Order: sequence, then structure tokens, then C-alpha cells
Amino acid sequence: MNVAAKKRFGPLLLIAPAAILIGVFLVLPYLNIVVMSFRMPGQGTPYGPGFTLVNYGKFFSDIFYIQQVANTLWIGFVTTLACLILGYPVAWQLARGNSAFRAMGYGLVLSPLLVGIVIRSYGWTILLGNNGLINRTLMGWGIIDGPLPLMYNALGIVIALVHVFLPFMILPIMSAIQGIDPSLEAAARSLGASKATAFRRITLPLSLPGIQAGSILVFVLSLSAYVTPSLIGGLRVKTMAVTVVDALIDTFQWPFGSALALMLSVTGAIVVVVFGRLTVMKWKA
Amino acid sequence: MSKPFFTVYCLIIYAFLLTPIAVVVIASFNAGAFLTFPPQGLSFRWYVVFFNNEVFMRAIRTSLWIAAVTMVISGIIGTTAAIFYVQYSGRLKEAVRIAMLAPLLLPEVLTAIALLFFVYSIGIGTQTMFGMIIGHVLITLPFVFINVSASMESYDPSWSMAAQSLGAGRFTRFRRIMLPLIKPGVIGGCLFAFIISFDIFTISFMLKNVGTSTLPIQLFDYLRTNFTPEAAAVSTCSIVLTLIVVVISEKMLGLRLHRF
Repeated sequence: MNVAAKKRFGPLLLIAPAAILIGVFLVLPYLNIVVMSFRMPGQGTPYGPGFTLVNYGKFFSDIFYIQQVANTLWIGFVTTLACLILGYPVAWQLARGNSAFRAMGYGLVLSPLLVGIVIRSYGWTILLGNNGLINRTLMGWGIIDGPLPLMYNALGIVIALVHVFLPFMILPIMSAIQGIDPSLEAAARSLGASKATAFRRITLPLSLPGIQAGSILVFVLSLSAYVTPSLIGGLRVKTMAVTVVDALIDTFQWPFGSALALMLSVTGAIVVVVFGRLTVMKWKA
Repeated sequence: MSKPFFTVYCLIIYAFLLTPIAVVVIASFNAGAFLTFPPQGLSFRWYVVFFNNEVFMRAIRTSLWIAAVTMVISGIIGTTAAIFYVQYSGRLKEAVRIAMLAPLLLPEVLTAIALLFFVYSIGIGTQTMFGMIIGHVLITLPFVFINVSASMESYDPSWSMAAQSLGAGRFTRFRRIMLPLIKPGVIGGCLFAFIISFDIFTISFMLKNVGTSTLPIQLFDYLRTNFTPEAAAVSTCSIVLTLIVVVISEKMLGLRLHRF
């Protein structure tokens, strides 16, 4: 190789391993899922020869699966909204609060991310179970007679998911607020706007990109969460991701599992795109 | 919102974030046979049970081994990719960034399913650890990339040129000039890859071969049927292990880990 060619292609060697890894073991497998969803269900094997639409037919003809997608979207929506309401004030404080508090708060928000998801979900089973800490305490105080149904239902799943994904809402909003010039708010205040008005008309609209990023992140993560719904929901409440994984692991229905996974991804993507469009419109208005 | 009210609100959220983790740690010192609150006396009995449980000990060894292998592979691939991204990517910069962050942006469960089918269709299957390690490298790669490229941004290419003008070859320039300067990013990224790999669940769950089990998988299986505080002892040890890595990197090496 001559010197010029070496100079041109040498740097490509740096990116080559990563490019091969992502191309072969990420892009191709994702394309492969699409192909898999059109394959024939197998008899004793994961999939049979030939191609078919039967997997999608099975999805659309069974109200059970459509309802499950709807439930999963609903859980994702409530989780996202709760994360936004709970997380925004914290994000604001991390961006604008006094500095001593800020460093500690930042550490507290990040630290749960370093604890495995199985362990965090396990913590919630200790808290939410019929014999769990919350029910025991409330019964001990005589506030309730029997245990509140906190686990094995959508409520428990949402509570635990909010906990698991809250940092992913707080961090993007925090950096959006940090990017807003504080003098804008000060200017609004000097022109006679109340604190609330200055927040509503200046800070909130300018932090919308952070809200959008955080919401999309939390929504997508909630739809695809497996561990938390599986441990908290048990056998009674299943989200789509749990059904898909169980269909693949326990019953080896690969083509049908792929179709289910794709239907969930497509509906999730549609919601995200519509949400993105709506917030961009709002933002420009 | 008035100021004290606002502060209290934030403190409640912080408490909410920490409670489930604190509860697990406290439960692990329970002397009773079941998870009860308040604990029936303090004891280390569940730690003794855990340390004598060969299934869990084997799972920890497997997890540590996989995390170490993942860290090395991810560290090398992610570092070279970050160098390319900052110095040579040119017009492709945004495309390279999105591709490198893709494993982080795509749902892990979908990536796991996709990889499972793929390793079977190319005939590798899950008889070896190959699929699982590829999955772990994919998931941890963005963290190495983010950390290294962050420390690369402050690297001035003219330093390399100065070394070159003094007669240093390509490899010497990398080893003597660039590597020492970006070392915090490389070490931070690698340690982070280790922690993330140690905690990965879904990828391992889908791609494990029969008989091997990582710690998160073993814990998950255990929790489906058992309610003794042994799981809490296992969890606490896992948390402490992560904590040690973080404290070493942030306090002793003075690193700032870039999570996003």
C-alpha cells in the first residue's frame, strides 16, 4: 500500500471492529426478526420452512393480544406521566438549586442506576407484597383491615417502573434547564411577571426539548421492560414484553414471538412519532 | 411553590429512589426465616447460607468472568472507535455517533431476541458463551465510547503532530502521547462497562446456555419461588461490589464517570 492510501484507509481500521460488531450483530439481527415474523410456525423446531402471514393473522384475530398491547401502552403512558410530574421539580432543583444540595442530589439520582434491575424490582416486592412492609405497617397502625392490593397488578408495576426509570426523566430535563440562561427569567421578573408566570411562560417552554427526550426514553423503556413487570405482575398481569419473552423461552414460538415483538415496537414507534410531532408543534407555536 | 415545600418535595423523591434499595440491604441482616419487617433481630446467618450456596457462588464467578472479558473487548473496540469519531470521522461524525449509541437507544429485550435468533440462524447457537458475550459487548460499548470521546474532545491533534515531527512512529505516538492523556476516559469507560455487564439481565437471560447462569439470572430464578432473606444477602453483596468499583474509580483514581 502506498503512503497516500495508508493515510486514507489507516484510520478506518480504528472504526472497523465497532462497525463490524454493530453491522453484523445488531443491524443484521434486527432485519432477521422481520424475516422471522413471516416464517411458518415449526413443529418441534423453532420455525418451519416457507413464509406466511399467519403470525400476524393470529395477532389481529385474538382480542387477547390486542388488549395486551393496549394495556402495555397504558402502563407506559401512566409511568411516563408520573415520572414527568415527580421528576420535573427535582430536575429544576438539580439545575438551579444551591450547590451543596445539588452535588448530593445528583449522586442520589444516579446511584439507583448502578444497582441491577433485578435487585431494585426485588426491593419493591418486599415493599408492596400482601405481607410487605407497606401493608404490614398500615395494618399495624390500624389504618386498614386487610392488605391493599399493591402487587400482582398494574398499579404495582407502574410504581416500580416509575422508580426504575425516574433518573432517565430527570437527567435530560436537568440538562435542558441548565442550558436556559437564568437572565431570561430575571428579565421576565423585572418586567413584572410573577414567579409562577415567569416559570410558565419562560422556563417551562424552553425546557420542552428535555421533557420530550425524557418522556420518549421513559416510554420506550417502560414498553420493553421485562424484569420489573415479570416480578411485580407475577402470572396475573402480563405486559407485552413478558408475553413475548415467555412465548420465545417457554414455548419456542419464534415466528409468532417475532410478530408480537414487532407489533409492540411498531405501535410504540407510532406513539413516539405522534408525540414528537405534537410537542414540536407546541414548541414552535 | 414556596421554598421549604419545594425542598421537602425533592427530599421525598430522593427517599423514594433509595427506599427499595435500602429495604433490600436491611432485609439481608434479618435473623428470621422469612422476610419480615421489622427484622427479627440482626444476624449474618443469610450471608453464611449464601456463601455456602455453590449455585450462587458459581453464578458470581461466571458474572465476574463475563464482565471482565466484556470489559476488555468493549474497552478496546470502544476506545479505537472513539478516537476515529473525534479525529477522523469528518462529515460522518453524526452517523458514527448514532451508530455507536444505537445499542443504548434500542430496547434491550428486542436486541436480546434479535441476537438469539441470529446466533441460531448462523449456526453458533447458545452452546458457547459467544452470543452472550457479544450481547454484553454491544450493550456496554456505548458507555466506553461516551467516556473516551469525552476525554478525547480536549485532546489537541497538534500534540501528535509535534511528536511525529520529532520522529515518533504511529504506535509510539499513540502509546506515549495520546493514551496517557485519554487514560481517565479509557479507565472510566472500562470500569463502567464492567459494572453494566455485571448487572445485565435480559441479554444474559435470552442467550445463556443450559447450565450457565449469571448472578442476576440466578437471583431472578430464585425470587420466582423463594422468599427467604438469602436473596437479600446476595443482592447486598452485589451492590457492595458495584460500590467498590465506583469508589475506587471516583475517589482513588479521581475519575468522573460519564453516564450519558
